[in-house]
Amino acid sequence: MLRTEAVQRSSWLSLVAAALVVFGVLLWAWLLATPTPAGRALSFSLLSGALFGVLLQRSRFCFFCITRDFFEQGDARGLLGLVTALVVGTLGYHALFGTFVPDPLSGRLPPDAHIGPLSWVLALGALVFGLGMAVSGSCISAHLYRLGEGSPVAPFALFGALLGFALGFMSWNRLYLLAIEQGPVIWLPGRLGYGGSLLLQLSLLAALAWLLARLGRPAEPEPPVSLGQALWRRRWPVHIGGILIGMLAVVSYLRVAPLGVTAELGSLSRTAASGLGLLPERLLGLDGFAGCATVVKQALLSNNGVFVAGLVLGAWVVALLSGDWQPRWPRLGEALRGLLGGVMLGYGAMLALGCTVGTLLSGIMAGAVSGWVFALFCVLGVWLGLQLRRWGGW
Amino acid sequence: MRCKSLFAVLLGTVFVVFQASRVLAGAADVLVSTAWLEENLDNPDLRIVEVSVNPGQFERAHIPGAVNFVWHTDLVDPVQRDIASAENFQKLLREAGISDGTTVILYGDTNNWFAAWGAWIFDVYAVPNVKLLDGGRAKWEDESRPMTNRVASYAPGNITLGERNEMIRARLSDVMAVVDGSDQAKLVDIRSPDEYSGRIFAPPGVQELAVRAGHIPGAVNVPWGEAVAADGTFKSADELRKVYAAVGIDGSEPVITYCRIGERSSHTWFALSKILGYEVRNYDGSWTEYGNTVGVPVVNLAGTVWGGK
Repeated sequence: MLRTEAVQRSSWLSLVAAALVVFGVLLWAWLLATPTPAGRALSFSLLSGALFGVLLQRSRFCFFCITRDFFEQGDARGLLGLVTALVVGTLGYHALFGTFVPDPLSGRLPPDAHIGPLSWVLALGALVFGLGMAVSGSCISAHLYRLGEGSPVAPFALFGALLGFALGFMSWNRLYLLAIEQGPVIWLPGRLGYGGSLLLQLSLLAALAWLLARLGRPAEPEPPVSLGQALWRRRWPVHIGGILIGMLAVVSYLRVAPLGVTAELGSLSRTAASGLGLLPERLLGLDGFAGCATVVKQALLSNNGVFVAGLVLGAWVVALLSGDWQPRWPRLGEALRGLLGGVMLGYGAMLALGCTVGTLLSGIMAGAVSGWVFALFCVLGVWLGLQLRRWGGW
Repeated sequence: MRCKSLFAVLLGTVFVVFQASRVLAGAADVLVSTAWLEENLDNPDLRIVEVSVNPGQFERAHIPGAVNFVWHTDLVDPVQRDIASAENFQKLLREAGISDGTTVILYGDTNNWFAAWGAWIFDVYAVPNVKLLDGGRAKWEDESRPMTNRVASYAPGNITLGERNEMIRARLSDVMAVVDGSDQAKLVDIRSPDEYSGRIFAPPGVQELAVRAGHIPGAVNVPWGEAVAADGTFKSADELRKVYAAVGIDGSEPVITYCRIGERSSHTWFALSKILGYEVRNYDGSWTEYGNTVGVPVVNLAGTVWGGK
């Protein structure tokens, strides 16, 4: 009886807290929305970040978890959800590109799309990022939404990512001259036209879906629940999350920029490391690449900064409502693994000019070969990391 | 006596009105307002061209019907350091549907810096009827006027370009002639005071460097921002005249404008030549050429040494 009362009291408290956060986000969006292009973009970024956080948290759209589920339990549902997001995003991006670059064979690239140079540095970055996911237990976007769930590991992983970015900047010039500078930037519509690119991408995604469905074990059916429970208690099916995330990605690209979560982290790290005199005066060619750009901070609020803040707040709201808000103190081992994995995440994301959201999700949707290369080596990194974890017994 | 005074006042008024209308007409010939452009968006004899500094601005949204000229590739020779060749520029204009009778309205971001540079290139190729949208993209956006991301396409135009008009272009040798006193001209450095004094080599965050800091001997410093009002539109002809007269530029001698790479200085070239009617050449080699040239005299007020700590 006492226990039921305590549960009821805590759910009321969660409801009030969630309402306050929602109010706070809306108020902030209203304050940001000055009648200028910059104000409109900031306000839109905050709200779309919050929606992204809701979708990630509710559908457990965690790149590491869904890959591990497949490797360890043969559960392909999560990865099929990711493929769904890529199909929706590919269709939407290709529909939009015609207004951005009418002739894709002209040699011009669509503005801001995450199309990076191909080289072994990209493969290395993706591999290290995948390893970092396995060591820290999440990718960067999932650590951000887990921050909204009160995860004890996420703060260490995100701090580690800042350090990793700084290490990446410190090794950038050497790697740029060794490999990145000569690396071709391949945009599929630029080689095949929009029709050809769309056909190739959808065929690849269909083949991937077929392979996943064939290799995966059928999941056990879940008992039926009420609509309210399906919305707020049970995880959303990942393919629903995938469809909604694909749509959000398209709208976000149209209005402000492709989805990405590392630009602000990278900028913070670059500004700090630069201020401490750790970085060379010029990072060769870096600012000329599209992707999760990491310019030295000029203004307190950036579009990506408020997007990330919105992501954490949005995830927090739904975590409060669904009972997933469970903060606790970290154990030493967790903190160390978070920090070490975070450094690898940051280093990998810097070398690959983005992470699972920016380079993989937004990149593949845009028809960037760099997105596919990132996906391949990132999955390889996760697999290696899982072997390491088994070997280490954690 | 009263009749005479009345006549004098009348004559004076007519003279003032005539002068004012001349100035206004002069400005209107080369500038259009945002309100005027919105009313004339559907005019088939008009072609709107965006030249923005920042890539992606046009693609995100632009003035309805506008075409995009990319300054990195469309307006320059992509290999040799030079403006676009006559052949390429004519092809670009024809593809944009520009014919011999078309009026071209240029606009861009960052206070029309590169749109003004575009206007200078049109002038080098002696294309008539080219105007700037006063206040550029920023003013258009601030006033919440319509934007679109749809790309317009036009039937090819038939414009034919003549020879380059090198009279509005200064080369290093022209600048050297002024420095050594064999030619008379006023040099205007439109960069920031810190670049002019030699405290810094280039603006923060910019990678194009000269290996010497400072300015060309004899140049006066009038940063480009002095030519615009708070809303980004050009100051009135009278105000502009005062700004430049204060540093000894009154149109009595030819003027040469320069900046770091020769684009922003077009903005001041536009103000001095198109609005005030002075004889002005733009030095498109600018400080990246002069500050890297061996043996030329440099004024370095700050004494900053390249490579030194």
